[in-house]
Amino acid sequence: MTPLSGRALATTVLAALLVGCGGQGDDVSRTGRPGAAAPSSHASAKSVPPLERSVPVGLRIPAIGVDTPVMRLGLAPDGTVEVPPVTDDDRAGWYRHSPTPGQVGPSVVLGHVTVGTHGDGVFRHLARLHRGDRIEARLENGTAAEFRVTAVRTVAKADFPTDDVYGDVDRPELRLITCGGPRVGEEYRDNVIAFAELDSTSPAPA
Amino acid sequence: MRRTILSAVALACTAVLAATAPAFADDPTPAPSTPPAASAPSPGTEPSEVPSPSVSSPAPAAEPSRAPADGQVSAVPEGAPDTGVAAPASSGTDEGLIGAGAGGVLVAGGAVLFAVRRRRAATRA
Repeated sequence: MTPLSGRALATTVLAALLVGCGGQGDDVSRTGRPGAAAPSSHASAKSVPPLERSVPVGLRIPAIGVDTPVMRLGLAPDGTVEVPPVTDDDRAGWYRHSPTPGQVGPSVVLGHVTVGTHGDGVFRHLARLHRGDRIEARLENGTAAEFRVTAVRTVAKADFPTDDVYGDVDRPELRLITCGGPRVGEEYRDNVIAFAELDSTSPAPA
Repeated sequence: MRRTILSAVALACTAVLAATAPAFADDPTPAPSTPPAASAPSPGTEPSEVPSPSVSSPAPAAEPSRAPADGQVSAVPEGAPDTGVAAPASSGTDEGLIGAGAGGVLVAGGAVLFAVRRRRAATRA
């Protein structure tokens, strides 16, 4: 084989190898599933006085870059909780039959992780939250409730922990819910749930 | 002359790679899917809905002043929230694209080898 034809062959083989490598990045960033929440010295057990009822209008989670308006959600005709429309994948929704953030009880906020071809949802990185991370809910009356994450759980939808999410608690808490885990067809197998407790409140600006 | 041809072919192969690689990296939503209209409520359905399980729940318009019983959840939903619609699995499509790309590159390389040999044989003759 002459040097020139050898060079051509080498170019061809190198190109074929590069093409073969190109498709192997599939799903690498999405297969990682954080386990139980990492311990943090930030978690507090202090008791913060609950807030008056005022519906949430905004939600901010600095650790995962979320700063979104909050819509209201109710019950679907089949008895399941409503979720934001796929066209509002960048918004979170507060379940209006739960306490408002800062009231005593579990305030429930839901958001999409992805919505098919519409792209990523507002809670796409919810599973990356860790114990101690800050969540700020802005309320309609101008006050803000600041929560700290106490746990992040990934649970199979078939074993959704209804009592842990919607059951009574004796202090102001927050639940952020989205989907996660492996995909089965066009669905996700699991739910990702972030549990948080009220850490502080700030009054409405005068 | 030959070097020029070979350089052009190498450039073409690089262009093929540059065109195909970004398509693979953009995997999260590569293939179209039908919008899940059935699983997600439309915005218009919410305001008119009054939950039946709750005895004391008034119309949504009065909600800001309403306090659920004891400040807790007044109507517990059934099942798990459907807060994600995954794009259809596309690994098969990717594998097909990879195979087609690699095959195309090999065919192009073969053609170049053939042309070089033919040209060399013609020069000797």
